[in-house]
Amino acid sequence: MAGTPGSSPDTAAVDAPRHAATLETPEWRGDFTPYVVGDPGRAVSRVRPAYVPAHPHRPDSIIDGIVVNGPDGAPSATVRAASVRGLSHRHYARVRQDDYALRVTPDARYLVVCVADGVSSGELSHLAAWWAVHEGTDELRRLLARTRPDELPWPSFLAWVADLIVKQAGDHVEGVGSDPREVAGHMATALTYAVMELEGEERAVHLLTVGDTSGWILGRDGGWRPQQPVKNADVDIHSSAVSALPVLSATPRPVRTSVAPGEALVLMTDGIGDPLGNGSGAVGRFLASSWAEPPADLEFAAQVGFARRSFDDDRTAVAIWPAHR
Amino acid sequence: MDAPLGKLLPFYLVVDVSYSMMGKKLDAANQMMPAVVDALAQAPILSDKVRFGLIDFSDQAQVRLPLCDPLDENVSLPALSLRGGTSYAAAFRLLRTEIEQNVRQLKADGFAVHRPAVFFLSDGAPTDKEPEWRAAFSELTSFDKQTGQGFSMYPNVVPCGVDDAEPTVLRSLIHPSSGAKQMQMYLMDKGEDAAKAIGMIAEILISSVLASGESIAKGGSGLMLPAKEDLPAGIHAYAADDEDFV
Repeated sequence: MAGTPGSSPDTAAVDAPRHAATLETPEWRGDFTPYVVGDPGRAVSRVRPAYVPAHPHRPDSIIDGIVVNGPDGAPSATVRAASVRGLSHRHYARVRQDDYALRVTPDARYLVVCVADGVSSGELSHLAAWWAVHEGTDELRRLLARTRPDELPWPSFLAWVADLIVKQAGDHVEGVGSDPREVAGHMATALTYAVMELEGEERAVHLLTVGDTSGWILGRDGGWRPQQPVKNADVDIHSSAVSALPVLSATPRPVRTSVAPGEALVLMTDGIGDPLGNGSGAVGRFLASSWAEPPADLEFAAQVGFARRSFDDDRTAVAIWPAHR
Repeated sequence: MDAPLGKLLPFYLVVDVSYSMMGKKLDAANQMMPAVVDALAQAPILSDKVRFGLIDFSDQAQVRLPLCDPLDENVSLPALSLRGGTSYAAAFRLLRTEIEQNVRQLKADGFAVHRPAVFFLSDGAPTDKEPEWRAAFSELTSFDKQTGQGFSMYPNVVPCGVDDAEPTVLRSLIHPSSGAKQMQMYLMDKGEDAAKAIGMIAEILISSVLASGESIAKGGSGLMLPAKEDLPAGIHAYAADDEDFV
């Protein structure tokens, strides 16, 4: 394949001297190879992603790659985020039900992040996920204008998000009542909120999770440190039952942790969390090595969308690398 | 589980090969697995997850196709042949052993495993004593979540009957028989052609497999059975509390 874009000039010069004149300034460069971990399975090559007539406004995938400045105006954190529709939803013509949102408080002291995983059994769960990430992070940003992160009123905040989903559902589902369990039959979402400081070296992080989304610290050593119990650890039969808003069962407890330069805070839905497990396997090593430093934004999305047999759920990850200050 | 290698959905087809199955019924039963394979070849999401096993039974039960990926090119489908009586107990005991071994092995290999599903096809009443097959069925299906007593890997069981299968007996094999995840059974209508009915049961099996794949995409984790109104003519579905087949 001498002389093709992406081959190195040195090799190409030996293989194809005829093209030598053009090799010094190729007209284009670049290459893309999809990521595969282990057996990619059949679905990744055979699924034809379907258009969803009922929800044409819903993007298949979304991506962000930004640098967030701290209160002093200097770069404080690099963020990569991607939400990618799963092979299964592509095949069965259903929308992506995962979502995420990023907010920075007006004083630039805090980054607010949410990842959400709309529960598949609800036909409109992508709406619950959308409201939870966007309205929820907006509300946290408002609260942080007058409240320290460690004093955030999480229970009343979650009740507010649950209530919002119930109210909004009334506009989208004909005849639905105000019982959260009834609404959850149409739309529900698991979610993780995170508030991270944008000042100092070691950044305090506050996490709150409902359901099977999760928050992790990716350490300097490439180790994955879960910030909540790992799903389905030590069970004989795999279960996909989840708790999700607007139903509030036990009030989840916020987790306080911290992330330092050289580490990353990663929030994810179970589309990545399930194949990651406790982080000790091939997927853990792949993502740890890929995310030791912030990759390019499109590359991050391609990594989130890695192929691995039977893991066909929507995938969402938001990774945050604090900068040295 | 440290980091699962994949998520699997095991199905077991258990087929009565007593002498009464002779002729077209056996031919129809032999077409069930090839039909499953054809359907899976067109279902890329599912074929990455489904594992199939085939057990036949008469006086004894035999594993004819160990739980496998039926699209694997190294797999060759067995031909069923007829043997003696109709021991339900032998079938249930072998299923219990197989499921336990298979699930343990798959988990040891690093897979996450959904609850197994069993399609149980018979054309006659059990020839073993009732307390015996009932005890074997209980060993296969009893589990107390609170205490952890019993068989945690118990399967969902879908009994299917043609010809002289005993409706009240098959009804007692529906598992779970109640609750959100209750199963049902499929019975050939009286006077229907039994070989044709077995072909329809194969269709029901295939649509259940396909629907289960979509159900997982929709957040379910269990076996999805076709709705009663979607069944082919000549077959009816019954729940454990239905009284209308007697």
